[in-house]
Amino acid sequence: MNDDYLWDKTGQPDPQIQQLEDILGTLHYQPKPLALPNDLRVPQRRNYVPLVAIAASLLLALLAGGIWLRVRSRDEAPKQQARVEEPSTPKPEEKPNRAPQSPVNKSVVVHNRRQNRSASSVLPKGEREEALMAKEQLMLALRVTTQQLHLVHTKTSPANQIKNQHRVG
Amino acid sequence: MKPLFHINFRTPLLALLLVLAPALVAKAQDSRIQMGGLDHLAAKASQTVDVSIDERLMRLAAKVFSDKDEDEREVKQLIANLKGIYVKSFEFDTDGQFVAADVETIRMQLRAPGWTRLVNVTSKKEGMLEVYLLMNGEQIGGLAVLHTEDRELTVVNIVGPVDLDKLAKLEGQLGVPELGIEPTKKTKKEDEK
Repeated sequence: MNDDYLWDKTGQPDPQIQQLEDILGTLHYQPKPLALPNDLRVPQRRNYVPLVAIAASLLLALLAGGIWLRVRSRDEAPKQQARVEEPSTPKPEEKPNRAPQSPVNKSVVVHNRRQNRSASSVLPKGEREEALMAKEQLMLALRVTTQQLHLVHTKTSPANQIKNQHRVG
Repeated sequence: MKPLFHINFRTPLLALLLVLAPALVAKAQDSRIQMGGLDHLAAKASQTVDVSIDERLMRLAAKVFSDKDEDEREVKQLIANLKGIYVKSFEFDTDGQFVAADVETIRMQLRAPGWTRLVNVTSKKEGMLEVYLLMNGEQIGGLAVLHTEDRELTVVNIVGPVDLDKLAKLEGQLGVPELGIEPTKKTKKEDEK
């Protein structure tokens, strides 16, 4: 028997092979356009990238807004002031040496303002006022601090210790 | 169903901790003392001094100090590196207006690591005076003074590297009038003696 038919379709075919060819021949490739059914539903993958981008933008905008508000509120915060509060009605047992202090206070403040006029003239008006107020507070704070340190010095000085020993003795 | 995003919280949390850790350490070393606990004393006090100057105000104030005036120049140099000055001082007409717990709110903060008590003067008549320094290595990082008498409570807190010598030199040069914070009566007596 010649097997060439199986290789290159030459020679005499075997009847069984021919029968198989007839049966399977109906299934061979036939070129034709792809026909998709109309009711076919393709599951879509949702694209979350734009949503994430929008959310990130909103978050950034909120963050920026928050920072801006914070900076703004800090700038517009009420000026911190040194408060020297005294009772409205002077009490009879009040120490007499405190009465003439307030006029001195005023004169010194005016003196300081005069001195600062030239130095602070380059600052904008609002900032200059705030700076002058801060300076007054600073001077007050330094005054209290130096007073306290002076007190420390007085109390820890050897002369004071001898005095205390003398008192005890 | 698989989740859309697999978020591993451990990595960002670690990163956040790494970022925040230096800030937390810095905060722990901050020499700012919280004095808000003393605010209620203002209502009882006959005289209150409340000064709160943060770094921004300090820089702003430095702009108006004159370089021509020697005293002002010294103050300007002194505050150049400071980050804040906070003072609260109360004077009362009668004894017992503040309690030990009020003082303890301040002293408790001064027991934090870094703070060292430099001076402690206690006397029954003249009250108690304590000076604390916050040391950052060899540099002074802050100063606190706590002074109590029967009718007076004063807390001073300077934040930042303070030059104590310069501060001591400023005494009597500032041109700021007497505020009656220091017990002038006692100093007079001492002067007479």
